Amino acid sequence: MNSRLSTWLILGLTLTFLIGPFLIIIAAALSAGNNLAFPPQGLSLKWFIKVFEIESFRASFGVSMFLAIFGTLVALILGVPAAYAMTRYNVPGAEFVKLIVSSPIIVPGIIVGLALLRYFVIPLGIGIAPALFLAHTALILPYAVRVVSASMDNLRVDMEEAALLLGCTRFGAFRRVVLPNIRGGILAAFILGFVTSFNQVPVSLFLSGPGIRTLPIDMIAYMEINYDPSVAALSALLAFMSIAIVFAAERFIGLSRYV
Amino acid sequence: MSDYVSLENLTLAYGKSVAVEWLNLGIRKGELIALLGPSGCGKTTTMRAIAGLLSPKSGKISIDGRDVTRLAPSRREVGLVFQSYALFPHLSVFENVAFGLRLRREKDLEAKVMAGLATVGLTDFAKRMVPDLSGGQQQRVSLARSLVMQPKVLLLDEPLSNLDARLRLEMRSELQRVQKETGITMVFVTHDQSEALALADRIVLMRDGVIEQLGTPEEIYNTPVSGFAADFMGFETILPDENGGGLAWRPGAVVLGQGPHRGEVRGASFAGERREYVLSSDLGVIKADVPIGRDTYAIGAKVAFDLPRDAAVPLARFR
Repeated sequence: MNSRLSTWLILGLTLTFLIGPFLIIIAAALSAGNNLAFPPQGLSLKWFIKVFEIESFRASFGVSMFLAIFGTLVALILGVPAAYAMTRYNVPGAEFVKLIVSSPIIVPGIIVGLALLRYFVIPLGIGIAPALFLAHTALILPYAVRVVSASMDNLRVDMEEAALLLGCTRFGAFRRVVLPNIRGGILAAFILGFVTSFNQVPVSLFLSGPGIRTLPIDMIAYMEINYDPSVAALSALLAFMSIAIVFAAERFIGLSRYV
Repeated sequence: MSDYVSLENLTLAYGKSVAVEWLNLGIRKGELIALLGPSGCGKTTTMRAIAGLLSPKSGKISIDGRDVTRLAPSRREVGLVFQSYALFPHLSVFENVAFGLRLRREKDLEAKVMAGLATVGLTDFAKRMVPDLSGGQQQRVSLARSLVMQPKVLLLDEPLSNLDARLRLEMRSELQRVQKETGITMVFVTHDQSEALALADRIVLMRDGVIEQLGTPEEIYNTPVSGFAADFMGFETILPDENGGGLAWRPGAVVLGQGPHRGEVRGASFAGERREYVLSSDLGVIKADVPIGRDTYAIGAKVAFDLPRDAAVPLARFR
């Protein structure tokens, strides 16, 4: 009985810490007052409407979406062949390449961002926008390679050999047999990459400039000047978007099998 | 008569480790050949080389008069039934069988696929997905997938090893029937001598990357050339003779209860029509089968035994 009580207690605490902040943000966003506060002062949906009226949020949402979608696509275009090569061929130094590819998730984002700005953007005179795009692609690449490698490992090599004997070229076997069977892994990598990119703060912080900001950076900037519940409303909306994506992915492809 | 498939001076290697050395083999049209041997003898490697999945270090492979040594697997007109079946799990049974035909843009696709499925008795399964099938059914789909391509040679990798005993018998007769109906040249790889004996027209017994003995099942079973071949064919007692050769006895040829040798019974087991004894003696471990109705011996008993010269099979080489 006692152990049962403590089990429920631990479960309750865990859920409070996991879901609590989220509930507080939703409550704060529903406030009718003008300050970000909890408990909310009255109830209203006006801050949710306000979010869509703030020009800079619309622009930075576009930037974040573009980075998340196309950065992930480019990372997959690079990552899928890399994963294929590393699982199928005895590439010399494959372990080293894996380590290099993983380095953006091992090295703290602040350092990656600073290093990119100081030794890449400034000396080479590269624009902020392409640098931001490259940085996001590099950050997503490890997820693309790792998740796709995992599903490639589960795919037997002799299936490709069978396709070769039935008349496929090597590329044809990859397209007709390998790709359809790692579809789920690729989709999982896409979702992980998308969410990682969309929520990225430290690297983006260094690679922002006038007219080009990702949404999280823009939200920080907004909060420094305006302390109203619109940021809470936006956060709630973003959280719902992430939940919807993950839920749809779980529903249709069983995301949890891949990550 | 010229060979339909010929392997000439074939040397195969994985990196620096040589798996098959200087192999020469001719296979006639319509023949059913077994590549037999223990694991690591090079039988699977040889099969992969015929399929084109491994390019030879040196030597030549030709099929139906055409040199295919440097030809891609897709252009050799060779079928391969993998040990794991290697079906495509994202496609239905029908689409698996249709896979190669579609690539060739063949006409009457549906009729050909259904005919292929009929050959292996799976017409009712056309719409099923691969993971829903049993192992035996998957193997038959794999067989149909290769057969519809009408390959010049059909290769089978351990075709019976993943099946249970009852299915194994069924598949054995299935393979014989298919071979009889289609007249296709088949090469199958196995480590099980009873499979090779039951199915093959000729057996290629391999050892450490070379052919140890090549012959009909009767030849190899009755007159093995070496201790290795004899051991593989169920001769349990193999002794050297004076000039490098040897003599081999099957357990049934050993006589217990009389004779010049002495041994101690270490194991005794009942096997239906006979009892199987294991003796230790000065000549080494002796296995002897005694028909039911003769004297029985307890474990630990000292027994006289004889290795009759006229019941022995002479071997050209002891090892």
